[in-house]
Amino acid sequence: VQPPEKPLQAEEWNRLRESFLSPGIFEEVMFKRMVKCNSPIDVAKSLLTHVAKSNGDIPYNFLVKYLALCVQQGQASEIRDVYDIMKTRFKILESGAYNLLVRGLSNSDQWRMALTLLEEIKKIMIPSRSNYESCIKAASRHQEMNLAFELYHEMLAKDLVPTLDVLQAFFDFSRGMKGADLQKELFGILLYLRENQIYPHKTFMRSIKLWFESIPGGNWRGHLTNIKDSGQCPVCSHQLEDSNLTEEEYNNLRERIIRDVIHGTDTYRKTSPQEFEAFQTFVENRFPFDIVIDGLNVSHLKPRKTQCENLFDAVNCLAKENARLLVLGRKHMLMNSSNWKRDIMKEMQNKADFFFAENISEDDAFLLYATLQSGKHCKFVTRDFLRDHKACLSDRLTRHLFRKWQRGHQISVKTKKFFLSVFIQQPALRYDCVVQTTGDTWHIPYKDAFEEKYSYQVPRKWLCIQQK
Amino acid sequence: MQSANVLLKKIMRSSVLPFAAQHGMKKDLLPLARTLSVSLCLKQDNSCSPSEKLDLDAWKKVMKSGLQEEDSKMVPEREELSAMAAAREILEMWRLAGRLVPENISEEQLKTFMECPSKSAKKKYLKYLHLKELYKKNDKRKMDEKRERKMETQEQASKTDETKRNSFICLWASGMDKAYSWRVAQSMVFGQPLVFDMSYEKDMSVREVANTVRQIVLSEGCNRRSVDPFHIHFCNFKDDSLYHEEFLKHYKEAWGKLLITVTDRCYTDVFPKDKLIYLTADSPKVMKTFDHDKIYIVGSMVDKSIKTGVSLARAKRLGLETAALPLEKYLLWNTGAKNLTLDQMMHILLTLKDTGDWKKALEFVPKRKYCGFVSKPVHELKKTLNLIDMLKLGKRHEEVRKQFAKNYSKKLRQK
Repeated sequence: VQPPEKPLQAEEWNRLRESFLSPGIFEEVMFKRMVKCNSPIDVAKSLLTHVAKSNGDIPYNFLVKYLALCVQQGQASEIRDVYDIMKTRFKILESGAYNLLVRGLSNSDQWRMALTLLEEIKKIMIPSRSNYESCIKAASRHQEMNLAFELYHEMLAKDLVPTLDVLQAFFDFSRGMKGADLQKELFGILLYLRENQIYPHKTFMRSIKLWFESIPGGNWRGHLTNIKDSGQCPVCSHQLEDSNLTEEEYNNLRERIIRDVIHGTDTYRKTSPQEFEAFQTFVENRFPFDIVIDGLNVSHLKPRKTQCENLFDAVNCLAKENARLLVLGRKHMLMNSSNWKRDIMKEMQNKADFFFAENISEDDAFLLYATLQSGKHCKFVTRDFLRDHKACLSDRLTRHLFRKWQRGHQISVKTKKFFLSVFIQQPALRYDCVVQTTGDTWHIPYKDAFEEKYSYQVPRKWLCIQQK
Repeated sequence: MQSANVLLKKIMRSSVLPFAAQHGMKKDLLPLARTLSVSLCLKQDNSCSPSEKLDLDAWKKVMKSGLQEEDSKMVPEREELSAMAAAREILEMWRLAGRLVPENISEEQLKTFMECPSKSAKKKYLKYLHLKELYKKNDKRKMDEKRERKMETQEQASKTDETKRNSFICLWASGMDKAYSWRVAQSMVFGQPLVFDMSYEKDMSVREVANTVRQIVLSEGCNRRSVDPFHIHFCNFKDDSLYHEEFLKHYKEAWGKLLITVTDRCYTDVFPKDKLIYLTADSPKVMKTFDHDKIYIVGSMVDKSIKTGVSLARAKRLGLETAALPLEKYLLWNTGAKNLTLDQMMHILLTLKDTGDWKKALEFVPKRKYCGFVSKPVHELKKTLNLIDMLKLGKRHEEVRKQFAKNYSKKLRQK
């Protein structure tokens, strides 16, 4: 159905309705289409009038649809009228209508009304983050930064995650404004990005840069740059924070891995207490290792070679610098088979320590344990992203720690590019990829909006800001 | 034509019609006037702007006017609402807004709704209740229709006055019941035990427990009706558990008369350990034949969020032998998890017990989960699979082949 272009008389609506396939839902479908086609508001009004005259009442969902149309076209006075009608008609409204009202009013010059609505919502439910978003944006658009920040903190206190848009709005609208408190609040947002390992996108980064440069008397200068592998900023030659965890974080992570990943709800699910104990004594007798290898994962590197040849290559490649290696595998690798030749296995066992888990145990958990137990210098080799193990960790903070540790300690193997070369070692990142500051410099990693970013990938581009 | 239009417009403006429309006198309009207005609209040709005579804000007046009387009544109610009443109020608004919300909701359901931890959990719960209500309504409607039809046929029958002659008294149902009970009673003495392990309550949500019990009730039913039933044991069954509560809901007073063994002891205490085999989809061992001397254990667990290795862990802890159904050996698996429902398991085990025919038994695996049966040896199967993939996926086939090879080697490794 195509909504009409001009308001219709009741009779005409009746005729349209009768020509419609299922007249029972005619009005509903018509309103939906009107919202979709963004029909003139008068058309919707004429239909509402028709409905009101024939029923003496307008159902709630029609009003909401009409409201959506008004919001879409920014008709502030209509929105208020609808709100008044709804308010007298119904005791409370539901979230859909509230969302529309807040969104519609916050974009108009009656934006303060949206704030009172927000208070009203709070009485019956927790406002959604988009409610807060609209109000915050409206407040900051009208330069009421204190109010905006108040709402922002309230939102965080309710465990709502702000969108990048809101954060960007803060930077956009406080450009050129003075005030130590304001500056502190905005630094607070940058630290929020740091704590939650959020990377701003390009336009957001630009807002941050412009804000810094606009601070009156601040003398900030921003540059876009790439950080070298060594972790030194080429612009200000500042050394970025390294990726090592602190002693406390490290111990915390190790304990959580043992508790949540290896034991979990039931130790028998991934291994068995006897086996884990045996592994613990094995590691304690021989550690520290320098590199821990996930044998089975590495053995599938190149499909044309047999599995034990692959593993042999890897061990040879990594054993060069007198490093102490630990290879984790499963017991079936010891059985002489076409994939696992006994003599090659023997030879490898001279170069590295081996631990063979039961065939139904999970070797990844052992990999994590052995690496963490060996200390901060120890790295591990696997192509696995270890997402399932990360998911076992119970809280967000530990998951962040895990990611950070993984970035610093996992050596992954690139196969596609270097198919012929034996074994390419991709260096683990030496510096930590988060927003960081020293007081007179800020370094902010950002992602190109178009670049796809996976959770294991970190941006390589940085914004360097320094105070002259 | 144009002059005619102008004339009509003039008539429209000066006529009583808009006046009548404005004052809600629609009902008083004579049929004559109605036809006149239709023809007028038709002839307008959209050339005049209708807003001149169409009061677009009339609906507001209607909405506001109807309320003056109601308003005074509503004010006292407006004050403080209890949490329950407020929740009910919100639900009502959601229903008006066209969301999937049940029309009637009981106190208990409302409480569960309010205890839902998140917005999406609330939404899901409401949708579930809504669908439940819908099914119930449909069933009721169908029942009513059926009853009506029956009444009609009865009436007709009484009219024609045709009496049926039959040598048996119609006592099928109770007769069958007796025969079944006799058989199950026999199996309680001589039959092969089958254990349901009822120790997974803490691994499941309330709804999962309810589903589990439903599935067990179904399995018990099909066991009762089979030629040679199992002797069903519920082991690790606690009397005050959720399981128990749900069973009572299903069986009511029949729970006490059920021909099964219910015990709070573990199967390892009841049976010799070397005879027990724990059936779990995670088992590395694949069942080859059905052994009539063994006692099979089925974990009474529905895991909607696929928790791998829970039942395998239990068997490992107790040091029991485990086995998985040879699904991959006999079926070209398509989609879906390899864990089957308890009643499907029961059907499969009963069929195996009676015939030992895997093909027949695995008919009970849901059809959507597999493409077909396998009759050829494995390496030939691999070729066909490749062919299928090639046809299905065209270019991507190389990739798929690799994937398959990888999976396959994993499988071989585990054997």
